Amino acid sequence: MLSKSQARAFFLGGTFLFSAIFVFLTIDTLRQNDTRTDAQNLTEDVLKGKEIWEKNNCMGCHTLLGEGAYYAPDLTKVVERRGVSWIEVFLDDPQAMFPGERKMVKYNFTKEEKGQVIAFLDWVGKIDANGWPPKPNIPVDSIVTAVPPQTTTNIVKVAQPEKFSQLCVACHAVGGKGGNVGPALDHVGSKFDADYLNRWLIDPQVIKPGTNMPKLPLSDTERKDIVSYLSALK
Amino acid sequence: MRFQSQKVAYWFFATCMLLLSLQIVYGFIMGFARIGFDGLHDYIPFNTARATHTNLLVVWLLTGFMGAAYYIIPEESDRDLYSVKLAYIQLISWVVVGVVAIIGFHFNWWEGRKFLEIPRPLDYLVVVNVLTFLFNIAMTIWEAKKRSTTQLVLFFGLLCAALLYLPGMLYFDNQTLDSYFRWWVVHLWVEGVWELIMGGILAFLLIKLTGVDREVIEKWLYVVVGLTFLSGILGTGHHYYWIGTPKYWLMVGGIFSALEPLAFLGMAIWALNMYRKKGKDHPNKIALYWTLGSAMMSFIGAGFLGFAHTWPSVNQWTHGTLITAMHGHLAFWGAYAMLVLAVISYAMPNMTGRKLFTGMSGYLAFWASNIGMLGMTGALAVAGITQVYLERKLGMDFLVVQKEIVFHFIGMLLAATLFTVGITYFIVDFIRHGLPSNEALGKNVGDLD
Repeated sequence: MLSKSQARAFFLGGTFLFSAIFVFLTIDTLRQNDTRTDAQNLTEDVLKGKEIWEKNNCMGCHTLLGEGAYYAPDLTKVVERRGVSWIEVFLDDPQAMFPGERKMVKYNFTKEEKGQVIAFLDWVGKIDANGWPPKPNIPVDSIVTAVPPQTTTNIVKVAQPEKFSQLCVACHAVGGKGGNVGPALDHVGSKFDADYLNRWLIDPQVIKPGTNMPKLPLSDTERKDIVSYLSALK
Repeated sequence: MRFQSQKVAYWFFATCMLLLSLQIVYGFIMGFARIGFDGLHDYIPFNTARATHTNLLVVWLLTGFMGAAYYIIPEESDRDLYSVKLAYIQLISWVVVGVVAIIGFHFNWWEGRKFLEIPRPLDYLVVVNVLTFLFNIAMTIWEAKKRSTTQLVLFFGLLCAALLYLPGMLYFDNQTLDSYFRWWVVHLWVEGVWELIMGGILAFLLIKLTGVDREVIEKWLYVVVGLTFLSGILGTGHHYYWIGTPKYWLMVGGIFSALEPLAFLGMAIWALNMYRKKGKDHPNKIALYWTLGSAMMSFIGAGFLGFAHTWPSVNQWTHGTLITAMHGHLAFWGAYAMLVLAVISYAMPNMTGRKLFTGMSGYLAFWASNIGMLGMTGALAVAGITQVYLERKLGMDFLVVQKEIVFHFIGMLLAATLFTVGITYFIVDFIRHGLPSNEALGKNVGDLD
């Protein structure tokens, strides 16, 4: 049977050995870090963005690289997912973008600060994180087809404009994909004509005072693209 | 209580009770926010509640460890504490730093790094404070005639915990490195040196409560803490899968995390075996409940539930979801919270001379809080698994998924209420014990050693 001094040797020896391996692996990790994280892209803006991120304890609600709290979405790939313009609109007044939903503090960032936060998140999104986050691997289509077919038949007539996939899907769903803050838009084209949709997008408040839909910063072309896309959803 | 100076432990324990109560309040604030009642958003937004909740946890557990050390070290060293005055100064300054930090969180003053939110200037004060504490403990041991393994393991654990606070104070421009060294504190604390502290405290309680020969208990203490370091140090790798560190961490972290439950299993088997070998019964059954309970719950919460999601192919889906919160709750409760409550349950009758452990309320405290915590863990587990499937595997929108799991947070709040009932019983008992009394000096209630 093990004696006390053997037990102590096991403890001390094990601790020393595994600490040494840990230190060795740490040195190697540091050596590889600049390449894996594109350290050359750590611009002034990125660093300022990190400061803003920390100063406001964004990790107290969000996660980044999966680390933080679980009250708000992970922001690792947010720039890729939502695009710069959406994040800018969102940060101006988070609650206007998700009315009646989970609340985010309105930080009143200046345009410059918003740019810095976005620069930081953009840099983080490009870190080589061993393939995380993984792409969803259960195809939604296999489940969505269980829904009556007319909800999905006409959605491919006009390709979805880029702006739509950045801004609108945060709240609206098409073909089962997207948010459910606002109504699904599967048949919106048969309910409203193009002129109405156009006026609606210019300023929702004018058409329906008190609506939760925010006024979005869309250029004329962008708005035209979205209207023709929506009109095709019948 | 053998020595006058052990009385100082009482004030650390009282602080614990206060901070634990506050932690529960902030837990409820977050729970209600999750089911849509976030009326406090303008005053206590979620990130404030969250930082307060987790930091209070860390501070009350550390306060408990310090109290435990001030109680155990004199007894193990067979002499009074080096300086009682220093201990009081240390407690008061510790509380001041804690209170300032918590208030600061409500005014957007923090460092914004998960678990290490305490602002930098206060970090320095923490360091000074902990050094004072260690100095006091070290001098007590240094000038003692008696050396014991329990005493040394406990001291070594406290010392390493203090040293490992330092990597958390380095600043990195690079988020990956920032995160890398943040885990040196967080992981190496809770899955490393805190387990050493836990082992030391468990050994002390087992010696006192089971009356098994010290040599036997201390031999297994070495084995258990040996297993802890063997698995836990490289087990840090499970935090390095997806933050931008090299791919070999997937293998290193995976293998050693899979070994981590062994340390906790060892802890549970050790405690149960020592109990089985006991010569006669210690009258303080409540303390024994908490002691053995801690050894077993730490295996379920920290060992098994940790094991359930640290394997890389599982963790890629569960990383950054409520699964982590699920594991975190039972792990901290089983390993550290229950242990601190065990020390308090053991020490209170000794310090005050009042044998409140004969009543029912101690059992009610134990069962209500444990069943409550298991319920909370269960609710978080169901919510977490649902989240993983809907959000990660199907790719549904974050907010949509959150709406689907609101129901489970109602369950969590109900379980939390039961938990709170248990803790209330515990605190009421604590208050009923009254202050430490000189009449209780020189003897311990029913000790078997």
